[in-house]
Parts: sequence; C-alpha cells; structure tokens
Amino acid sequence: MAIVDMRKMHLLGLKKEQDKILSRLQEIGAVEIIDIAGLEEDESKVQESTFHQKMIKELSLLDSKISKLMFGIEFLEPFVKKEINPIIYGKPKVSKKDLDMLLSREEHILSILDTISELDQQLSQLKGEESKIKNRIEQLTPWKDMDIPLQQLGPTEKSVFMPVIISKKGFDDFKIKLEENQLLAVLETVGEDQDDYYCLLIFYKDQMKQIEDISKDFSISVQEFAGLKGTPKQIIEEDNRRISQIEEERQAIRQKAQTFSEQRFNFQILYDYWSLEKDKKSCALKMNTTEKTFLLSAWVPEPDVQKVEQKMLEVTESIYIEFNLPEEDDEVPVVVSNPKLVQPFELITELYSLPDPKGIDPNIFMAPFYFVFFGMMLSDAGYGILISIVAAIALRKFKFAGMGKKLVQLMCICGISTVAWGAIFGGWFGDILGLKPLWINPLDDPMSVLILSFVFGVIQLYFGIMLKAYMNIRDGHVADAVMDQGLWLVFLSGLLMLAFPQTQSIAKYLSIIGAIGLILTQGRAQKNIINKLLSGILSLYDITGYLSDLLSYSRLLALGLATGVIATVINTMVKLLGVNVIGWIFAIIIFIGGHIFNLAVSGLGAYVHSSRLQYIEFFGKFYESGGRPFSPMEIRTRYVDIKD
Amino acid sequence: MELTLGQVYALFGAALAVFLPGIGSAQGVGIVGESAAGVITEDPSKFGQTLILQALPGTQGIYGLLTGFIIMQKIGLLGGNLVSLSPYQGLLLLGASLPIAFVGLLSAVSQGRAAAAGVSIIAKRPEELAKGIMYAAMVETYAVLALLASILMIFGIEL
Repeated sequence: MAIVDMRKMHLLGLKKEQDKILSRLQEIGAVEIIDIAGLEEDESKVQESTFHQKMIKELSLLDSKISKLMFGIEFLEPFVKKEINPIIYGKPKVSKKDLDMLLSREEHILSILDTISELDQQLSQLKGEESKIKNRIEQLTPWKDMDIPLQQLGPTEKSVFMPVIISKKGFDDFKIKLEENQLLAVLETVGEDQDDYYCLLIFYKDQMKQIEDISKDFSISVQEFAGLKGTPKQIIEEDNRRISQIEEERQAIRQKAQTFSEQRFNFQILYDYWSLEKDKKSCALKMNTTEKTFLLSAWVPEPDVQKVEQKMLEVTESIYIEFNLPEEDDEVPVVVSNPKLVQPFELITELYSLPDPKGIDPNIFMAPFYFVFFGMMLSDAGYGILISIVAAIALRKFKFAGMGKKLVQLMCICGISTVAWGAIFGGWFGDILGLKPLWINPLDDPMSVLILSFVFGVIQLYFGIMLKAYMNIRDGHVADAVMDQGLWLVFLSGLLMLAFPQTQSIAKYLSIIGAIGLILTQGRAQKNIINKLLSGILSLYDITGYLSDLLSYSRLLALGLATGVIATVINTMVKLLGVNVIGWIFAIIIFIGGHIFNLAVSGLGAYVHSSRLQYIEFFGKFYESGGRPFSPMEIRTRYVDIKD
Repeated sequence: MELTLGQVYALFGAALAVFLPGIGSAQGVGIVGESAAGVITEDPSKFGQTLILQALPGTQGIYGLLTGFIIMQKIGLLGGNLVSLSPYQGLLLLGASLPIAFVGLLSAVSQGRAAAAGVSIIAKRPEELAKGIMYAAMVETYAVLALLASILMIFGIEL
C-alpha cells in the first residue's frame, strides 16, 4: 500500500561460481545490481585489471553476435509467411532442452547467417547495378530515334558530329544565328521533351571556335556518351534485357533466402539467449573482484529478501549474504505496491513521475478521485458500458504486459464509474432512449452540477493539504504541520463557511483567526521582524492559488456537458434523417460513427483532464516526486519464453 | 412567420461560436500535423502517439459547435418553431457566444503550438508522451472555462 522498503544486499562469492549465481539472480528477477566497481579502487586500476578487460572483450564479442542475429531476423522477415502476434497469443515457449540442442548446433546456424549476409550483399549489388542502368536508359530515351552508333559521334576528319540539348525557347534564335554567321552547320532534331530539343549539330571542323562562341549565348549543353557503343536504341534494348535478367537473378536469390526462412525462429531463440547472457555479463562489470572472489551489492525489495537468500543458498554453500538498511545518502530505487484494484491507477502516477523514496505513494489516495472524475467527465452510461466491455474482452483475449495492461484495466474500471454517472445524469447514448436521470440532468440544472464539482474540488484539495500535514508530522515537523497546513485549513474553512448564512457568524472568526495566524507564522524563516510580518501578509496572497485550483474543478461540469450535448447533436441528426428507408440507413451510419467519434474525443478529454486535476491540483499540494524506477536483473526476452 | 432582429443577432452569435473556434482548431490541428509528419518519416510506428497530440487542439472546434448548437436549440431553430426574440434577447445570446468564440479561436492555435512542441518529445523520448499531452492540456483549460461561461450564460438567459 505504499512504497516498498528496500534492503541493500551484499553478496560475497567465489569467482568460479559467478556465472551460476548471476543466472539464478536473473531468474529470481528481484535484484538490482549496484555499480560498485569504481568505488573502492580507483577507476583506472579497475579498467586495467585483466578480469575487467576480459569481460569487456567478451561483451563486445557478444554484441557483434547479437547484432548479426538481429540482421538475420530482419532480413528474413519478409519471407516468413505469417508472424504470430505476441500480443494476442503470447510469446512461443522454448524448453531448456531445445535450447541446449540449438546451442550445440550453433556453429552451423551461424554459418547460415554468413550465407544470408552474402545473399544480402548480392542483392544490394544488383540494386546498385539496376539503378545505374535505369539512369542510363533515362538519359538515352530522348535520343532513341537517332540511328547513328554512339561511338561514331564526335570529330571525324573534316567535320564534327555533336549531340546537343537546346532549350525550346532559344532554339529558333540559335538557328537564325547560325545562318546569320553563314556557318556550314546542320542542326538535326532527333527528339524532344517538355523543355528541350535533342539535336545533332554537324559542322565543319575549322569553324569549331565560332560555333562554340555562339553556343555560349544560348543555354546549350553538349551530351557526353563516354564509353557507349551501338545506336541508342540498341543500347536501351540491351539494358532492358539486363534489367529483366537482374529481376530473375533477384528472384533466384529470394528463393534461396526463402529456404532459410525456417531458421528465423532459431535466430530469435539465440538472440534472446545471448541478450540474456549479455545482461548477465554487464552485471559482472559492476562488481568488485579479487583473484578468486567477487563482491556484489544490490537492491532487494524487503518482501523478497527471504526468497532471495533461500534461493541463493540452494545454488551454493560457499557464499556469504547480508542484508542492510539503506544509508542516508543512498539513491534507493522505488517500487510501489498496491491492492489489485488500485494497481491500474499506478499508470497515472508513473506517467507523471514516481514518488521520492522518502515521500509517500499517492496511488491509493488518488485512485478514488480519478475514478469519480473520469466518469463524471465522460458521463454517458452507454459509453461506459461500451468501454468496460471492450476493455474486458481485450484483457481476456490478448496478453498485454506492463503499461498497456494497466491502461486497459484502467479503462475497464473507469467505464463502471462512467455508467454510474451516466445513469445519474440521464445520458444513455445521449438522449436517444429518453431515460430519466436518477438525479439531475446537467442540461436542465447546470448550477447544481457546478456546485457538485466544487464540492469534489474542496474535498480533494483538503485531502491534499491534510496529506502534506501527515507527511510533516511523520517526519517530526509537527509545528510546520500546524502552522502551514493547519492554519490554512482554518482560514480556508472560514472563507468557505462565509458562503452559508447559517455558519456566517462562526465563519468570520474562523477566517480572522486563520488569517492572523498565517500572518504571524508564515514569515518565520525571515530574520528581522519587519520581514517576518511582510512575508506573513504576502503569504495570504496564496489564496488566489487555492481559488484558481478550486475553479479548475469546473471542468468536471464542462466536459460532462460537452459529451452530453455532442451526443444530443448526433441524435438530433439521426432523428431528422430517419424518415424513409434510405434515410434510416444513413441515420444508422451517423448514429454509430457519431457516437464512436464522441466516445473517442470525450474519452481522451476525460483521461487528459482527470489526469490534470491529479497532477496540478492534487499532487501540487503534497506530492514529492523524482523516484528512480526499480529495474531488477530479470529474464526479459524479446521473441520467445525460455522455460525449464 | 415574421423574422425578428433578435433572431438575426442570435443566429449571428451561434455562427460566431461555431466558426471562430473552428478556424482556430483547424489551424492548431494543422500545426501539429505538420510536425508530426516529420517524426513519421523517421519512425512510422509513432503514428498513434502523434495522433493523440494532434487531436488535442481539435476540441475547441467541438466546443464551439456545441455552443452554437445550444443557441440554435434555445431559439428553436432545430425544432422548426423559431421563438420570437426581441433585439435585446438576441444581443444577450450574441454576447454569450463571445467567450468560447474568441478564447476558442486563440487557445486552439496556442494549444496547437504546445502540442507541436510535444511532438518532438515523442521523437526523442516516446515514453514521456504524457508530459507532452499535459503541456498542451494546460492551454485547453481556458477553452474549457470559456465554454463553461458561454453555456452558463445561454442557460441563464430567459426567453
């Protein structure tokens, strides 16, 4: 129900049994190794030690093996028919026996990887060649009507055959210019595209210089066909043949790869196995070692201490374990433990930030508010039933893990609250059923619901202030609890009671006592008396903060109204359309689509805004965040479950 | 049936409530979409996350539509029995539409910018999406308050 206590474990063992011990710790999954390698000796000495260097070398070997396996898994992905979705069916199970068999054949499997990487190289070579050829075809296509072999272009004995590209704009001017200068030149157009003419310019060799001078004035570029033989048409045909050949070769390679597709599963098993080994090895780097022994320190949650000790002693006798309380300056990781019903709400806190190890776990206090607020903002019984049922089915059918699981559970629970509020406000898919509200319809009487929202606000804000007071008292700061939280509670209660005629007489005194108390105490950190008074008076200005916090709860009404009114809009459209058969068809489509849309938008709004009320208004009063999540050594695999 | 000036004012109010926040939301959603598209080119699997951020500035348009709808319902435009309104009553409804009209317009654009910045959180640290959503949701508070003010005003006007 709170933050779990942590114990610091020190484990002294023999180096030859290190691997066995680490494997068992990984299986237990409740131990987070602390890096102490650099603590006792100085850093450079650690890095020089042969043990350390050996480990680093092994790690880098493992890394390259793992990345090779990853490559194999990715390369073969398109060749596997249908992948089993792990979210739906869970990861496939692999027994230790199968794994050992696989490891004995590892050489063979790794050699397959080499073949595959060769295939990959061939494929990329083919791809390179293909794109080169495609470029050439593109370049040659405008010239395909020129039936002169390309090697014959260029200068001959007396004349020059020059392939040129002339922009259409300058073409006529260029021709005129050639004639004006009375040059012996022929301009033969062989092709064109949108902007340019592709021409053969034939001229007398001696006039080369003049032709070049004229060309400069126009945007004319000379096409180079270095190293090409035959007419453009022939070359293009040849290239196209080669492209289909490449396609065939590629098919052949693909077929070959296809035959390896069964190996992909083996790769996945090995990938998981070696990744686990790597995790283990990197833990070894965090230890302190001597020639024959090692010392490791780790965090263990208090409830798991016995289990860990017992299981470790099962592994070997020659081991020494002790568990200590954390010291003052230790950076203790945080795990929270809550009743099953509250667990889904941990998601909301996790998304904000975990509690400080010395703070308190807010989940159990926050959960009821979140539950009520979410329902009040979505406030449609129909939607509530829908999300609860969908979430419940999803939980049964699919195997969610981690945050995803918590989110779906949260939806399932909050759906119930939505049904309740929908019934209270009379919203069942808007007003389509015409059911009477159990209490009030916010459309008829928004002021009552607004007051209800503020009542919820006051309750949550008071609760937050009291939690802060509790934390102060727990830490021994009773005076702070009385002066900071107690006096504010008195002052705020006085102000609140002013609103009711029956209590006004007491309220006046309460608020005056509270205010004077605050003025006298809030400046106590200051040294001189004037500053004390000034900060005391200024502290009363915080009342604006409380006011805006309270007003913020009006969103409970506003978002509830929004859901209701949008649902009504959809239903009105449906009723307008439902006059004949075709109208009914459209009406049904609009009804279903419209309500799903409203559920999505209002649901997102309810999630976001009820989170905000917790984060800003509630947590702001007391919560100390900044905890580091506990991340134990564990069997965390990606593709398969390795089982005994 | 004769049209009154009051009805014209009221309808003008409903129109303002719908189209100003609508423009704002369109712009806000657009801004987020632009930066989301950049992230998707790198990693298409983040589509779902970016879509949540993109949906956030869209709510102002919905709030506006909702306010416009309540005004239309109030003056009987939807049922076909238009209430005869005095010019003052029409102006009251027009005034009631102003909070959501203007706050909706401007907050949607600001929220779009905040959400677009949140998209870059997704690009680098997708696990911190909730914080990006929160930044954008802080802006929306003011649209919610304006919506509340508009709705309470409309409900409070007696015809």
